[in-house]
Amino acid sequence: MGALADFRQIFARHGAAVGLFIAGTVALWVFVLIVLPQIAMVLISFSHNLPPSEQGGPNDVYTLSQYGYFIFGNDGGFNTLHLTILAKTVLASVVVTVFDLILCYPIAYLLAHGARQSMARLMVIGLIVPYWINEVLRAFAFRILFGSTGLVNGVGMTLGLWSEPIDFIREDVALYAGLTYAYILLMIFPIYNAIEALDRNQIEAARDMGAPWWRIHWRVVIPMAKPGIASGCTMVFMLTTGALAAPQILGGPSNLWFTQLVYQWFNDASNWPRGSAYAVILVVVCILFTLLMMRVFKVRIGEIGR
Amino acid sequence: MTKTITLDHVSIRFGQYLAVDDAHLEIAGGEFFSFLGPSGCGKTTLLRCVSGFIQPTEGRVLIGGDDMKGVGPNKRPTALIFQNLALFPLMSVAENIAFPLEVRGISKAKRRKRAEELLELIALPGTADKKVTELSGGQRQRVAIARALAVEPDILLLDEPLSALDLKLRQHMRTELREIQKRVGLTFIYITHDQGEALTMSDRVAVMSKGVIEQVADPVTLYDRPKTSFVASFVGETNAIPVSVTARAGDRVSAEGAGGLSLHGVAAGGRQYKAGDACLVFVRPEQMRPARPGDNEIAAKVVGDEFEGNLRHLMLETSAGLRLRMSLVNDGSPPPIGPDGSILVGFPAENGLVLPDGPLAKG
Amino acid sequence: MSSSAAGRLGTIAFCLLFFGFLFGPLVIMVLTAFNSSPFPRVVPWDCFTTDWFGKLAGDAKLLTGLGNSLFIGAGVVLLATPIGLAAALALSEVGPRLRGALYTIFISPILMPGIVIGISTLMFWGRLGSGLGFGFDSVFFNGFFLTILGQVCFISAYSMLIFIARLQRFDHTLTEAALDMGATPAQAFRKILLPFLRPAIFSSAVLAFLASLENYNTTVFSIVAESTFTTELASKVRLGIDPSISAVAVVIIALTLFGAIVHEAWQRRAAALAQGGATAARILNNPVNAFIRHPATVAAILVAVIGGAIYLGSRHNSDVCVQSILDAKRAEQERLQQEMRERMQQQRQDAPTAPGGSAAPSTPFGGVFAPGGLGGGDAAPAPAPAAPPSAPSTPFGGVFTPDSLPKPVDAE
Ligand SMILES: Nc1ncnc2c1ncn2[C@@H]1O[C@H](COP(=O)(O)OP(=O)(O)OP(=O)(O)O)[C@@H](O)[C@H]1O
Ligand SMILES: [Mg+2]
Repeated sequence: MGALADFRQIFARHGAAVGLFIAGTVALWVFVLIVLPQIAMVLISFSHNLPPSEQGGPNDVYTLSQYGYFIFGNDGGFNTLHLTILAKTVLASVVVTVFDLILCYPIAYLLAHGARQSMARLMVIGLIVPYWINEVLRAFAFRILFGSTGLVNGVGMTLGLWSEPIDFIREDVALYAGLTYAYILLMIFPIYNAIEALDRNQIEAARDMGAPWWRIHWRVVIPMAKPGIASGCTMVFMLTTGALAAPQILGGPSNLWFTQLVYQWFNDASNWPRGSAYAVILVVVCILFTLLMMRVFKVRIGEIGR
Repeated sequence: MTKTITLDHVSIRFGQYLAVDDAHLEIAGGEFFSFLGPSGCGKTTLLRCVSGFIQPTEGRVLIGGDDMKGVGPNKRPTALIFQNLALFPLMSVAENIAFPLEVRGISKAKRRKRAEELLELIALPGTADKKVTELSGGQRQRVAIARALAVEPDILLLDEPLSALDLKLRQHMRTELREIQKRVGLTFIYITHDQGEALTMSDRVAVMSKGVIEQVADPVTLYDRPKTSFVASFVGETNAIPVSVTARAGDRVSAEGAGGLSLHGVAAGGRQYKAGDACLVFVRPEQMRPARPGDNEIAAKVVGDEFEGNLRHLMLETSAGLRLRMSLVNDGSPPPIGPDGSILVGFPAENGLVLPDGPLAKG
Repeated sequence: MSSSAAGRLGTIAFCLLFFGFLFGPLVIMVLTAFNSSPFPRVVPWDCFTTDWFGKLAGDAKLLTGLGNSLFIGAGVVLLATPIGLAAALALSEVGPRLRGALYTIFISPILMPGIVIGISTLMFWGRLGSGLGFGFDSVFFNGFFLTILGQVCFISAYSMLIFIARLQRFDHTLTEAALDMGATPAQAFRKILLPFLRPAIFSSAVLAFLASLENYNTTVFSIVAESTFTTELASKVRLGIDPSISAVAVVIIALTLFGAIVHEAWQRRAAALAQGGATAARILNNPVNAFIRHPATVAAILVAVIGGAIYLGSRHNSDVCVQSILDAKRAEQERLQQEMRERMQQQRQDAPTAPGGSAAPSTPFGGVFAPGGLGGGDAAPAPAPAAPPSAPSTPFGGVFTPDSLPKPVDAE
């Protein structure tokens, strides 16, 4: 009823034509582009992989087998391979998120309170420009950097840090570096937005009282930054687990990212129901994990995403 | 082409909060009418109700005798000048002024001509093609007025239009506004929290407090015969002395205050008091004087002294802790202050206004 | 205050490291586009060349993909901008309770993994199509259609965020003023709110187009049988890397820098003009200044610079240098073979029964050193002539051969 009154208000404020445009467009987006496809995917994840001719036939019944396969494989035992891949994906994403946080918090703070106006503007441009370049190319750059004859190996060996070229690709170093790189922006800007609102005087006051810099951050800045940190971490975590290009290009041959499994079910095995089931598993695990972390760190959902 | 406005027992609520409480009054056509009250008392809310942005929760708004229920702001014969002016930043001065004509589908040439006429009227010729951001505060003010006049309204509503200006410009614009009103002969409804503004410009003033209209009167009556403690304390400077009534004879009231104070005053509005009623006696600083025979007498100590040239303000305190303010015209003789700072002040009984105890305006 | 000086130094060092991390990989990638080495690398440097751009211009698949991407991008812009606008307007009007719920729904496509959006789009329309009795050649299975819808699903949310940011700065009394002046609600929307939102419409369109162009995760599922610029690029990278991919990066970086600089010039001019007064007068009244600081002039200068670079680059011929390196390599190879032959001779003398006569080198690099092998993009790099013959080249092994790329885990 509240919603109805709200929409009536839109009509009253902007007129019927604009009101219809808003209501229609939003409904189209939410239902046709967001909700219905998700429902379709979930439904299909509960079906057997049938050839088109049998779809809708007597064999087309709902089943849990696609999910069962993820846990038990074909033969009763645990599907350790896929379970490990999921666990590893989540864990690695956490590591990447923490890495991004450590890297981005100081920069966000500098941007908000440390740097002069012109410097901050330059920094913002410097932050954004690399992200106008294709995701695939960014991953490719890391492949060059960490290749056997890449700069990292070259410098490392010239300095005598190691004598044989290290296979950073196989060791997943390139992957972690590339993933850390990929979502830096999404960590910096929420934190920046949160601490920008902080009154400089508060920091000055704390400094006047003789608080050491780390205590100022711990007691004054970080509490203020908390919602920003929460949304930054959520976004980075969700997008990292869902990344596909970077793992495909930078991942070691024996170490798969969970999204690559999904990709294989679709493109190599043409098993859409199972691919859907794996996609659903990915989303559910991501969301549950995020909610769990929000509980642990006592963050409310409302604080996310601003 | 002037229309009366009637507020017929109008109340406005925001959820539980009562922003306007039973406003009931009539504004005559061609009148310069002000609503005066402290910040947050519901002035803007009432004005927005008249212009049609808010519906009254109870009661009716009538313009020229027509009930305005269901009539949108774009259909009412009113034009509102917003507290922040709300000039369109992406349009030039002329486009701003001609906007009301533009939405009525009037041709470009005619619009331009009318805009230039109006600029002439507000004494800003030659600014037609400037951006509004290039204008000074006072100029913007006048453009907002011109734009409102372009609507050819019957009633012009002004929401604290001078509050953003500096003191000097404000005083200048007061006279100018009044002149414009006389020239165009429209009904002006003017909102302000500045009593000086309300008193100098208005034909009549309504004083509001916390959503309630306390008194509607012309400026002189408002100053000399306030009806409530709030009005007495809000309009002009005054001293409020808490007392308890001891006797009444006609409109004369005798009362006693803390520290053995015995005072006589006039019951405002012919109110009936009985012995023991808690009241306030109001007396203006300029009506206080060194005590003369027959005056209400108050013994006090001088605790502050402000010399202003033609005037001298003394801050007094009685033994009971009551603080008073007295303003003396500087006639060359020093006030009779004793060596220990003591002074006997007084005021004639007819200058002591007795009003029922009630909330006072702050500050 | 030595501690604060140390703090400053630390801060500066951190910033340098951070931005080094941000730009380093890109700079290296750009450099590799100009090195004639068939494997993208900076050290050792072979020859300066612009051949990789030529190779790029001849890459029909990539160009087809680019054409498809432009088409898809246009579709996405046309759909996502109005959707984002409508959503932002809806959020700005509804009450606080509903706003929270709606915001969560609207923002969810951004947090949803891209592959999930691609998959669900594919599933939904596919099932709908076959449910309605359409075949695989119908629009429900069309890669363009699906990709546009899939991308619009989340790009609309980006564009919504831009509109929200702009709307937050809108003074709603302006709309009220327009209504009070007698405008109808629709007129107020068209004449007041929409012009105010125009810069946001522009930014949203640009952002939507760029996001569409670069999207991989969603597109790779929804594109079905077609291809886009990014999916082509990704399959190129996955099949074997060569510097023509770096050349793509150079082109994109040049274009974005061009856009950024022109945009910045435009912004500064607009800001100075909006500020009015002396700052604006300095631009408007001085013809030289007015000309130089005009975005069109800036754009023209940049176009000239880029054009000049392209012209010079196309005239540059690296054949001689490449040939000399090739010769050096061939000489090196011959020397190695010679050594090998001598060693075998030695061995044959030591053990005459050993299987012999093989001219094929038995080092792990086998045919790489054959002149034909030098063209192969993906093969292990040949040791540079400057490198000592003893340089350990073994570990390059097969890492970059197609076999070692991520392969399906055959679980079934
Ligand atoms: N839309 C609204 N929703 C809820 N409360 C409101 C709304 N508009 C105004 N109020 C409340 O109504 C009261 C009166 O507000 P109003 O704007 O009329 O005051 P005002 O007299 O114009 O004050 P000022 O001189 O500061 O402009 C205030 O307490 C305000 O908080
Ligand atoms: Mg107000």
